Amino acid sequence: MKRTILLGAALALSAAAAYASTITVLVQETALRKRAQSYSPSSGVARLGQTFESLGVEAGFHKTSSGYIHSSAVTTRKANLSGGDGVGGSATADEVTLAGKGFNAQVEKSYGAKNGSAVNFAAVNSMERRVVSEAELFEFLRAGGLMGEGGSK
Amino acid sequence: MKRLLLLGFLASAGCQGLQNLDVSSMTGGRINSNVDLTKVAKGVNQVRKGFSEISESEEYYIGRAVSAQVLTRYKPLNDPGLNAYAQKVAQAVALASDRPSTFKGYHVQVLASDEINAFAAPGGFIFVTKGMLELVRSEDELAGVLAHEVAHIAKKHGLKTIQTSRLTSAFTILGSEAAKNYTPQQVSQLTSAFEGAVDDVVNKLVVNGYSRDKEYEADKFGAQYAKAANYDPGALKAFLERMEKAEGSGGGGMFKTHPSPAKREAELGSLSPSSGYKRSSERGRRFSAAVQL
Repeated sequence: MKRTILLGAALALSAAAAYASTITVLVQETALRKRAQSYSPSSGVARLGQTFESLGVEAGFHKTSSGYIHSSAVTTRKANLSGGDGVGGSATADEVTLAGKGFNAQVEKSYGAKNGSAVNFAAVNSMERRVVSEAELFEFLRAGGLMGEGGSK
Repeated sequence: MKRLLLLGFLASAGCQGLQNLDVSSMTGGRINSNVDLTKVAKGVNQVRKGFSEISESEEYYIGRAVSAQVLTRYKPLNDPGLNAYAQKVAQAVALASDRPSTFKGYHVQVLASDEINAFAAPGGFIFVTKGMLELVRSEDELAGVLAHEVAHIAKKHGLKTIQTSRLTSAFTILGSEAAKNYTPQQVSQLTSAFEGAVDDVVNKLVVNGYSRDKEYEADKFGAQYAKAANYDPGALKAFLERMEKAEGSGGGGMFKTHPSPAKREAELGSLSPSSGYKRSSERGRRFSAAVQL
């Protein structure tokens, strides 16, 4: 009987954990928006590994005290990087991203050295340097009549 | 007993992906603090397996290497105005997609090729040929073309082409020990697995093409993204009609790797713009100014 109660309590505890409200950013940086809309102006920037308390989900965005963040840029699962033993085979994909492990810059460097003239990382770097700021993009949308009602205001 | 309770908890959490839970924060005062919960949790973990467990950062590095190969097969077009314009249109539709942010964002490069083609590499790298742009008549059509590529990325079609055995191999190497820094042997083994994964994507992207289902899915979601960005989603159909005519004049490129434009049009069905759609002379003006090929 006692064991059944304990198991029931454990089940309840696990269910609560599964719906934990902490979210962790999995991309280098993403906008925190004033409203749950892609074209809403940003209220700040969320960076890789930063955690927020989600106050709920609206239209695909997590509401946090700092602004709305798109659900595709975060994980609701709690990454465990404690213990000081790095990230091993039991690490989740989220933990691999946060620890910078797996296929990373070190592997790319080795791949580049092995493949020499068959790869052009310099051209990729120059492609990546082409960035459009949010202000520039929103002006482009506004000028082209693409900013819907309730857009960037 | 406490261990039994803990194991019961671990087993019950399995359906939600126990490997992702940091149980150390949930022990409270009820469980002996001498029990190393982290190790217990890791003990019941599974090594990552399929494409869905490729991390955001790994997807980015795979995409970079795929792009590095594309950019040796095709020369990048050095036209800053055109590249910047294509970048803005791609960002506009990506922002309206269900994946507005990738690990390091979306990036577009126009390729100096007369072939009619466009590619999307994992992680946010988009390529469109000069030949393709010559066939496009408006910004709304360009948005449709780029939204199709954004959809390939958002739906991770590239990653799905990687043979599971390569990933299993890489994930097993990673699992051989907890690694803060890889040994030269580990790097060499990981590089081989990485190389295989990149080749799988390149072969699918450039040589064989995705399955018809994936192309139709990219059309469907691409039209949705274009519509959500307040472009005319029907513009993609107009473009496909023009492609159909161009197909008659022969060609490899996209014709070799995609279903016929007529079939794609039929799959798309009828498309209506969003309530926020507006015609704009400015879109016409800037398209003509940027796309002068």
